[in-house]
Amino acid sequence: MEEWKPNPTVKPHKKRSWYLAWKYKLMNQRALRKLCQTGAVLFLLVTVIVNIKLILDTRRAAYEEEEESAQDYDDEMLNVEVPRHPVNNKKVLDVEVYSSRSKVYVAVDGTTVLEDEAREQGRGIHVIVLNQATGHVMAKRVFDTYSPHEDEAMVLFLNMVARGRILIFTIKDEGSFHLKETAKNVLKSLGSQVAPFLSWRDMWTFVGKKGGEVYGEKHAKSPALSTWGDPVLLKTEVHLTSVEDAECHWPDTELNRRRRRFCSKVEGYGSVCSCKDPTPIEFNPDPLKDNKVFDVPVAVIAGNRPNYLYRMLRSLLSAQGVNPQMITVFIDGYYEEPMDVVELFGLSGIQHTPISIKNARVSQHYKASLTATFNLFPDAKFAVVLEEDLDISVDFFSFLSQSIHLLAEDESLYCISAWNDQGYEHTAEDPSLLYRVETMPGLGWVLRKSLYKDELEPKWPTPEKLWDWDMWMRMPEQRKGRECIIPDISRSYHFGIVGLNMNGYFHEAYFKKHKFNTVPNVQLKNVESLRKDNYETEIHRLLGEAEVLDHSKNPCEDSFVPDTEGRVYVMFIRMEQEADFTTWTQLAKCLHIWDLDVRGNHKGLWRLFRKKNHFLVVGVPASPYSSKKPSSVTPIFMEPPAKEEGAVAVPAVAAAEQT
Amino acid sequence: MQKINRNVVLALLSLTSLVFLLFQLCYYKFYLSQKHVVRKFLGLISSHNIPVYLIDPLILGLVDKDIEQIRSSPDGPSPECKYFCAPRDFTTFALLDKTWKHEVDLFRTAEKMGFQWLKIINKDPRLDGMDDLSGMEIPLHYIFKLASHAIHLVVFYERSGNFLWHGPLRLKQHMDRKFVPFRKLHFGRYPGAYEKTELLLVSIDALKVQIPKNPSSFLEEVSHSRFLECRYREARAFFQLYSDDASLDAVEFRKKAKSLLHLAALTLNNLGVNFWLSSGTCLGWYRQCNIIPHSKDVDLGIFIRDYKADIIPAFQKAGLPLKHKFGKVEDSLELSFQREDDVKLDIFFFYEEDDHIWNGGTQAKSGKKFKYLFPKFTLCWTEFVELKVHVPCETLQYVEANYGPEWKVPVKTWDWKSSPFNVQDNGVWPIDEWDNVIQIY
Repeated sequence: MEEWKPNPTVKPHKKRSWYLAWKYKLMNQRALRKLCQTGAVLFLLVTVIVNIKLILDTRRAAYEEEEESAQDYDDEMLNVEVPRHPVNNKKVLDVEVYSSRSKVYVAVDGTTVLEDEAREQGRGIHVIVLNQATGHVMAKRVFDTYSPHEDEAMVLFLNMVARGRILIFTIKDEGSFHLKETAKNVLKSLGSQVAPFLSWRDMWTFVGKKGGEVYGEKHAKSPALSTWGDPVLLKTEVHLTSVEDAECHWPDTELNRRRRRFCSKVEGYGSVCSCKDPTPIEFNPDPLKDNKVFDVPVAVIAGNRPNYLYRMLRSLLSAQGVNPQMITVFIDGYYEEPMDVVELFGLSGIQHTPISIKNARVSQHYKASLTATFNLFPDAKFAVVLEEDLDISVDFFSFLSQSIHLLAEDESLYCISAWNDQGYEHTAEDPSLLYRVETMPGLGWVLRKSLYKDELEPKWPTPEKLWDWDMWMRMPEQRKGRECIIPDISRSYHFGIVGLNMNGYFHEAYFKKHKFNTVPNVQLKNVESLRKDNYETEIHRLLGEAEVLDHSKNPCEDSFVPDTEGRVYVMFIRMEQEADFTTWTQLAKCLHIWDLDVRGNHKGLWRLFRKKNHFLVVGVPASPYSSKKPSSVTPIFMEPPAKEEGAVAVPAVAAAEQT
Repeated sequence: MQKINRNVVLALLSLTSLVFLLFQLCYYKFYLSQKHVVRKFLGLISSHNIPVYLIDPLILGLVDKDIEQIRSSPDGPSPECKYFCAPRDFTTFALLDKTWKHEVDLFRTAEKMGFQWLKIINKDPRLDGMDDLSGMEIPLHYIFKLASHAIHLVVFYERSGNFLWHGPLRLKQHMDRKFVPFRKLHFGRYPGAYEKTELLLVSIDALKVQIPKNPSSFLEEVSHSRFLECRYREARAFFQLYSDDASLDAVEFRKKAKSLLHLAALTLNNLGVNFWLSSGTCLGWYRQCNIIPHSKDVDLGIFIRDYKADIIPAFQKAGLPLKHKFGKVEDSLELSFQREDDVKLDIFFFYEEDDHIWNGGTQAKSGKKFKYLFPKFTLCWTEFVELKVHVPCETLQYVEANYGPEWKVPVKTWDWKSSPFNVQDNGVWPIDEWDNVIQIY
């Protein structure tokens, strides 16, 4: 194209313009000129066509986009726009607090955040914690300070609440009977004038900032022992602070972002929200070498006990070999706080619309959780099932990693459980020892997928059946003679005191003194001997070396077992047929182990420890091991104490309590 | 004078074309910059240890042509930009969900690098079949945009049935509809199902990327990947109306039928024969997302063009002896297999006509022929009893053709000769052919 450009070096002759000169020059090269012209025209045509096409294409594409932009891609459910919360610029909160014999309520800015007028319920001091910047409710508790020890729990709670939070107190019915000096002093230190003098059936309301000003207090004295103080209604205003003041200044990391979200929403979790020295929420325990359960999903079954869940997840995430990505927490119901806890630890949580009631609800929740677990991890052959009220031993995964191949290979196994029903402080000794038992203990266990998918899921109890899932799983129709592997010393600890089947007394009697392994990296002993046939050989060997105890003594007495260590002893009890547990139950009672139903047996044999000696109990003649009984020994028979009538029903009911 | 004019015009036109040329040069540069965007994206991804792999059909198509060469020279120098510079609006990558931890930091870094990003989340289909579970919504697609090029990152999830699934791309109302030309995306119009694939680290256009080990079979899958979710909500409604049969017999039948279906799927897949759920099994999937306990058998459909003589020996080898064979390859072929004390497996062969598809039936004792007509259909993937199987995409038409408008109502007494909605008499087999077309074992 050079040729088409004017040549500046050519000077025009006389008056001739540069153009004429140029033209003249070109006319002299006619052939060249023709060629150039044709070339140029062709070139032009091509460029023009290409460009026009390009423009048209772009236009059409743009037009199409506009027309049907992404109609195939629109969400079919045109969700109603989520209403954005109006930014709350209000600086003052109106707080109303009401205290009376039969009703309490608290309203913040006209919204009732607490209302309790149920009969025979909610007695004591109700405490509400508000965020001083947003006014949101962060915690709601009631402490029945009419009853003993509840005031201690209240003190513990109040000490955990961060400085600057707004505290609201109100009494329903009675709240002073067991309100001790310490608790009164704590209330006084919060600014209450009345608290030190609170007495029988007084009504009281108080609003104050922890470590700061008092917004109001009202009190009505009870005129006589038999009557209550007049209802009191406190109306006051609380000045909100800025968000920055209400939050801690942690470094901006992913972890702290989670922590901040959590701490601005809920209260009562202690040092996790401490500004100065917050407790870690990531634990990074040592990984396990050759971890066979790294890819096994862990289902945590939870209800609405967020404080329990918090404790449980801490211990779970601290266990060696844990893989947080495999953990799913299943929450029975749409509760916010357990979900907050799950998010604090960066885990995934799934909520479950409650189906049915009571035991059946738990049962349905279990089914949904197990099915979902295997859906979410379709490659998994097993699932670990945990509950929110368990502490998890530091070697929990190590224990499973060493034993899980048995569950894969031995068809006669039903489960591996971390819990030994009979493993109390005084009856368990050896962290490296495993047993085979005919009962399913639950409380931290491993389920085989094929067992669930082929057998349990299709006939799981339907919602209208008020069955306990674990009792159902223990039924012979389901268990089909298969056994579970358990450790001598439990790898889980049941700390739950409140629950569907649980209360303080029951926990004290049956769970508190349970032994819990705290030794890391325990190398399990002779895992292969747990296989079906090997185990029989093992038992025969054990019985062969066992010394027969003196059957003339009382087996309940401590002196029944000699003061030795590390020996193996055997005793024989009467057991007429397979289901005759009369003597065993009495023995279990006097040994202070689980006696509410039969647990921990293997073909009429129980294994435990007494005074650091392995202690075997054989039921004669039902047990196949009866042949080991020397003919001179008469099996011990223990009769149930008279007047058992009322107690007959107890085991059946109480057996359910272990869920 | 005229000559001058012509020259002037020519000169002017050339000038314009020069401008055009420059403009095109710009466009060329823009194509070059695609690679730049891809490189930046790969840098972002590798700095966060996220294992993505390339699934862009256009690029894989080009790669597939030179696959031998690429495989043999993993670090081979490729001077020109052959693959990543082919003009397109997107480059598509895949990510396996379980291989990464959802990180907020990724997006922060992406923003710092100049990317705009869009995240498409939706309900987790693995929980959809469950009564009333609500988990967190899961990410299905990410789009990273830089300048005029975008990276489409498709998240794949493992599903029961040993396959990978990606979700549909659906925009919520508040989303920017013009963020990218969504219609041009290769993935996302429908959900898709894929086999798990091995990956291969290759260097193409001097960029190291993972690609499916066998691009051609992956590309083949792309074209038939459409996935249908079971209609869990409708199935729940169905079970509210007609409570599920939870008797031991029903449990036992379902267990047997499931294992039979698994065995049949394994056998046919090994032969490379496409099949789909037909008749009662298809109805069970469509109506109640489960096997109908009173259905007595398992029914599969196969196009006659996919028929292979190996089918019968393969089933025999798998422990499923032939029970009867009706018809012949040219007409009304039907095979039944059955183990002792087990559920029967019926395989119907379908014949395609211009405007419909049909399969045949034969009554053994009379030699009567029947014909069942269906409107034309294509095949989609679905998940059924922990299996990735085909069903007709146009399932409703298929089921309605077979069972009539009342298909929602369970029927316990069923006669295959008269009950189906689409049955037609089709004459009688000539007597001399009986030995061939009616074989009972």
